[in-house]
Amino acid sequence: MKHVILGAAAFAAIATAAYAQRPAAPIVQARQANYKQMAAAVKGINDQLRGRVPDLAAIRPRAALLANYGVQVLRWFPRGSGPQAGVRTRALPAIWTDQAGFERAGARLLVAARAVNRAAQRGDVTAIRAAMPALTRACSACHDDYRAPEH
Amino acid sequence: MPRVRVWDLPIRLFHWAIVLLVPAMWATHELERMDLHILLGQILLGLVLFRILWGLIGSSTARFAGFVRGPRAVWRYLRGRGGPAFGHNPLGGWSVVAMLLVLLTQIGLGLFAIDEDALNEGPLSHLVSYETARILAHRHETIFYLLAALIAVHLSAILYYLVVRRDNLVTPMVTGRRAADEAGPALVPAPLWRFLIAAALAAGGTFAISNWL
Repeated sequence: MKHVILGAAAFAAIATAAYAQRPAAPIVQARQANYKQMAAAVKGINDQLRGRVPDLAAIRPRAALLANYGVQVLRWFPRGSGPQAGVRTRALPAIWTDQAGFERAGARLLVAARAVNRAAQRGDVTAIRAAMPALTRACSACHDDYRAPEH
Repeated sequence: MPRVRVWDLPIRLFHWAIVLLVPAMWATHELERMDLHILLGQILLGLVLFRILWGLIGSSTARFAGFVRGPRAVWRYLRGRGGPAFGHNPLGGWSVVAMLLVLLTQIGLGLFAIDEDALNEGPLSHLVSYETARILAHRHETIFYLLAALIAVHLSAILYYLVVRRDNLVTPMVTGRRAADEAGPALVPAPLWRFLIAAALAAGGTFAISNWL
C-alpha cells in the first residue's frame, strides 16, 4: 500500500512538473477554441444573411458572442503564451513586440463587433448586413499582421 | 498520310479549359485570391457537368459507352493484343473516368468548404456547420494531391506514347485530327442541338447549385 501511495505521489509530482513547464498551454488552447467559436458565429450570421428572410433569433446570440469576445480578446494573449508556450500556436511575436499596434487591432475588432451586435439586438437586418464587412476586415487585418500563415 | 477527325470541338475545348483552370485553381489558392478561386471553381463545375452530359449524348469518341471497357479489354490492350484503338484506348478510358470522378469530388468538396476565419465560403457551405465545412476544406486540400497524381500519370502516359510508341497524342487534341490507320471507325459527330442541350443543362445546373440551394 505504501508503495502504491509513494508511486502515485511520484507520478503526480512528475506530471505536475511536466505540466508546470508549459503553463501557457491551456491559455493557447482556450483562445484557439474561442476563435473557432467566433468563426462559427460569423458563418452563422452570414448563413442567415444569405437567405431572403434572415432569422434574427439565430443572429442575435452570435452577434452577442462576437461583441463579448471582442471585449476579452486582448486578454487572451498574456506574455509567455506565444511561440514559447510549448504548444502549437500561430501567434506571432509581434503581438508582444508591437503591443500598441496589437491593441489597436483589438480595439478595431471591438468597435466592429459592437456595431454588428447593436444592429442585431435592435433587429435591423440592413444595418447588420452593412456592419459585417468592417468586422471581417478587422479579423483579416489582425491575422495578416499578428498570426502566422496556416502552413 | 490521310488524317481523320477523332476529337470534336467541345471535347478539345473542355480538355484545354481544364488544362488552364486546374493550375489556375492552385494558383488562386496559393495567392489567397479566394474570390477568384470560388468563381473559377463554379466555371469548372459547369465544364465537368457538361463533359459528363457530353459523355452521354455527345460525339462517338466522347461517349462513356464507347470507351469505358471491361477488365478483359483492358488486359488485352495491356498485352498488346487489343488492336488499334480509335479515341480513348481501354486503359486511357479509365484514366478519363478517374480524372473526372476526382475532379467532381474535388469541386463537390469545395462547394461546402470554408476557410478557418469563415471569410471565404463555398456556395453551399451554408448547408453545413462550421465544423463540417472545415473538415471538408481539409479533405479538399488532400484530394488535390490525388488529382495532381492523376495528372502526373496522364502526362507520363502521353510522354510514353510519344517517345516509346511514336504516337503523338497532343496534336490530335489540338487539331482534332489524327493519322488514319487502317479502315478504322471514324468520328460520328453530334449535331449542334445536342451540344446546346448539354451546355444549357450544365450551365443551368451550375447556376442552380451556386445560387438557389
